[in-house]
Amino acid sequence: MAEEFEPKIVAFLCKWCSSAGSDLAGVSRMQYPPNVVPIQVMCSGSVSPLYIFNAFKKGADGVLVSGCHPGDCHYIEGNYYARRRIALVKELLEFVGLEPERFQMSWVSAAEGTKYTEVIKDFVDVLKPLGPQSHLRREQ
Amino acid sequence: MVNLDELKKEAKRVLEDGKVKYVIGYVKSKASNMAAPAFVTDPEEIENLIWDPTCVQNLTKFIVDEKKRKAQQKKPDTRPVAVVSKGCDSRAINVLLQEKYIERDDVFILGVACEDLGVIDEKKLAQKLKGKRFGELTFDDKKNVVATTTDGTVKVPVKEVLAERCVECQANTPLIYDVFLGEEDRRKPDAPFASVEKMESLSNKERGAFWQEQLSKCVRCYACRSTCPMCYCDECVVDTINFAVTPDTTAQEKALRIKWIERASTKSENFGYHLVRAIHLVGRCIDCGECERVCPLDIPIRFLNKKLEKTAKELFDYEPGMDTEKPALVASFKDEDPEEFIR
Repeated sequence: MAEEFEPKIVAFLCKWCSSAGSDLAGVSRMQYPPNVVPIQVMCSGSVSPLYIFNAFKKGADGVLVSGCHPGDCHYIEGNYYARRRIALVKELLEFVGLEPERFQMSWVSAAEGTKYTEVIKDFVDVLKPLGPQSHLRREQ
Repeated sequence: MVNLDELKKEAKRVLEDGKVKYVIGYVKSKASNMAAPAFVTDPEEIENLIWDPTCVQNLTKFIVDEKKRKAQQKKPDTRPVAVVSKGCDSRAINVLLQEKYIERDDVFILGVACEDLGVIDEKKLAQKLKGKRFGELTFDDKKNVVATTTDGTVKVPVKEVLAERCVECQANTPLIYDVFLGEEDRRKPDAPFASVEKMESLSNKERGAFWQEQLSKCVRCYACRSTCPMCYCDECVVDTINFAVTPDTTAQEKALRIKWIERASTKSENFGYHLVRAIHLVGRCIDCGECERVCPLDIPIRFLNKKLEKTAKELFDYEPGMDTEKPALVASFKDEDPEEFIR
């Protein structure tokens, strides 16, 4: 039997909320798919579109950007800037032909370990039928 | 209609008064049928200036160059430069002012109105003439292009060979100027984003295939970057020179250096370059179409910028270059920004 496709997800998690949220999921021993490569960033607003393009280029099947809920940003307004920028990046990636499901954003607070596991579970479920991402991937 | 003599008179006046360093305008090109940009320092040479639908270039680029030159000089001449500016070019000046890259006193703007025309697309004209070689182009009443070909003269209505961006133009009259020539007639296009909407109507797969084909052509000559008035960064992410390699640079330092985009013009790197360029121009690109015009491989780069212009308009009600007082698109936010896509 052929092995099932396991998508690789790169998750940019903000240090103050989402990363702590994923930690909470971990220390609470919640079960969630091991397909995520978390990258801690200081703020979702610090995620440059370049990071996202490069994650796809280096073979990510999906990219998640996660930050604090609006109003909860450690830097007061970083996630508002992120919200605008990510909306534009999402539109652009869709326009050049990347499946819109491959790029997601979520708000996960430090207390939402459960939400984090759900976001990842759903993301993996969406990505599995899509298969590997080859549109922006670097040629081997 | 713009009175050319009036334009020359105004340009001559400011140059003779010593109010400006030089005048940037259009002259007849010796190499092609389209106009060429010219820097006029001698009032006598003002006579060579022209203004017709072959004046395609966005001269705002040269204001950026001037600023960079001034930064290099020990005692720069701080007088402004005069520039002949179409509606779209004036929007570019607006963006530079909004970003505080230049001061209002740095430029003297000779605004010219395109009225109900615009500039012509050389490729469209060549198509209309069915590949026949054409010599000098003249315009009768500014409504028809008169091209001299080997089979005699051919008349083509200017409207039929207008550049795509002029068909979708949203500022045919300069928004900012010191001297204004022509008639103020602010027309609004019926479908400012028609070309992009056509692309959007394709399926995701078809669009993907389209861009794969187009962007793998790119040879990364960076002509689009060089001609863009908004690409004024001193260091660019695609240049390798911003990492100095000295005898002291260790192998580890070299290995650990992040190469966001490689110089190789392979498909994935080209995607990287064009996506980053599009994102850097969001809320700044005023659709002068220069990038697409100069592309030696005819990549429809303009679509990427136009798409983001449309998105910015729809999601954030933002139009670049229309208001210098507004904060820049990605440097501001509103509480009610859309977030339906966020979980």
